[in-house]
Amino acid sequence: MNILFLQFLVGLLFLTVIFLHLTKKNFAAVMAYGIQSLIIGILFLNSFFETGNVYICIMVLLTLIVKVVLAPLFLTRLIKKHNLSFSVSTYLNTPLMLIFIAVLTVVAHSHIFTALTTIIPANQALLSLTLSSLFLSLFLVINRRGVLSQILGMLSLENSIVAFIIFAGLEQSPSLQIGVIFNIFVWTMIATVFASMIYEHFGSQDVTSMKHLKD
Amino acid sequence: MTIFVWIIQGFFVPAVSPLCVGIIRKLKAKMQNRQGASILQPYNDIRKLLHKDEVISRDASWISLYAPYIVFAVTLLVGASIPLFSAFLGNALTSDMLVIVYTLAIGTFFLALSGMDTGGAFGGFGSSREMTLAALAEGGFIFSLLTMALINGTTNLFTISNVDILAHSQYFLPSILAFGGFVIVLLAETARFPFDNPATHLELTMIHEAMILEYSGKRLALMEWASSNKLIIFIALGANLFFPFGLAHDASMSAIAIGIATFAFKMLIFCVAIAVLESSMAKFRFFRLPDLLITSFILNAVAIGLIYSL
Repeated sequence: MNILFLQFLVGLLFLTVIFLHLTKKNFAAVMAYGIQSLIIGILFLNSFFETGNVYICIMVLLTLIVKVVLAPLFLTRLIKKHNLSFSVSTYLNTPLMLIFIAVLTVVAHSHIFTALTTIIPANQALLSLTLSSLFLSLFLVINRRGVLSQILGMLSLENSIVAFIIFAGLEQSPSLQIGVIFNIFVWTMIATVFASMIYEHFGSQDVTSMKHLKD
Repeated sequence: MTIFVWIIQGFFVPAVSPLCVGIIRKLKAKMQNRQGASILQPYNDIRKLLHKDEVISRDASWISLYAPYIVFAVTLLVGASIPLFSAFLGNALTSDMLVIVYTLAIGTFFLALSGMDTGGAFGGFGSSREMTLAALAEGGFIFSLLTMALINGTTNLFTISNVDILAHSQYFLPSILAFGGFVIVLLAETARFPFDNPATHLELTMIHEAMILEYSGKRLALMEWASSNKLIIFIALGANLFFPFGLAHDASMSAIAIGIATFAFKMLIFCVAIAVLESSMAKFRFFRLPDLLITSFILNAVAIGLIYSL
């Protein structure tokens, strides 16, 4: 696949992570995650065309089914069930959050991580960008109070790691990666059920309300 | 032929800007299941106001009297100095990025002064709100243009628009981020949703309308016209700096015609986008607006950071 198209895809991945930080609407966040997963599916498809390995083709299908269809479906149902259209609570206010986003992006592109981003020197720009996405996803998990946003942050983190691994040439055997996708599927189901239970017990998706766990 | 093109360039913004506002109003009306006024209604409004008598406050100083002319002249000057339909008309004097930004700031400054000049409460709070937003939008505006300037290695807007869009395809992400930041600034500077509601005179929400509340007749016409000019100036900057295709690269008739048609198409897309945005979202509370403008600034800061890392 053309390097410019790959850059476009990784750029889109990065933009979806920024969008996850900025959006206040849960539906929009889930859609962004769906797009992000579709990008990962296309990246796997690229690997399949390059290697011709049938297992990778299965991975593409599994990625599309689990990450693009099922995970957003579970999360959308959760939003509809509990009427959780908006999630606005963050630990940092918007200006500080944005400054952190800028700092994390710059840090990921700085010489501190040169050892990681030059694993394959030709992919340095792509690796720096996926590393930025990885940091920003981690920051999303840390900064958001809502459990749904945290789930999306975890899933986005996983997508960023996959993208990083693809461009760093650190792909594991396809069977192991299929196992990881199955793991993600199970984790998403458990996390959705757990989020639902939190809401039913505490009447809120805000994880800070769990300090009253003893009650 | 070049002189002929310069004449078109000079008259293009004031001639087309009311049409741009008319299209947005018509589209919004259609989305609200209303028939709406004709897209030429803003021309009729301006003509009507130009023929009406004026009421001028006895407390008005020279600022109130001359500010509409200054604000209008600023938009004419900027309109003639930015790439609209051609990329070869550049001049080193007024087409520079910083000259454009700060010439527009002169207009904003006099607009705010005129709001306060008569001592009315509405004008005062309108000016206060306008300056708060203008101060925050300035950073995002400069940084979004600076992003494109860094990518192209020049601050001349005509030179920036005179490039092959695919030549800098590795800068796709910084360009998109800068464009995102620029759109936020466009909405803030042109008093559109979610920053301001151009169709209201409610005390709680108005910003631009509060500043020109004291004006009537010819001066109000100039203020309204200048506001329309500013909208098309920002649309032209967004359309031609971030998507520099279809611009005329020479003074031939066919190239100019294609340039004008392409710009009309781009303008229509922006108008539809603004109309959809204004029909689908509510105006933000004033104290949420700084967050949005800081978002614009940071998006551009990230874009500049990415340029240096690529």
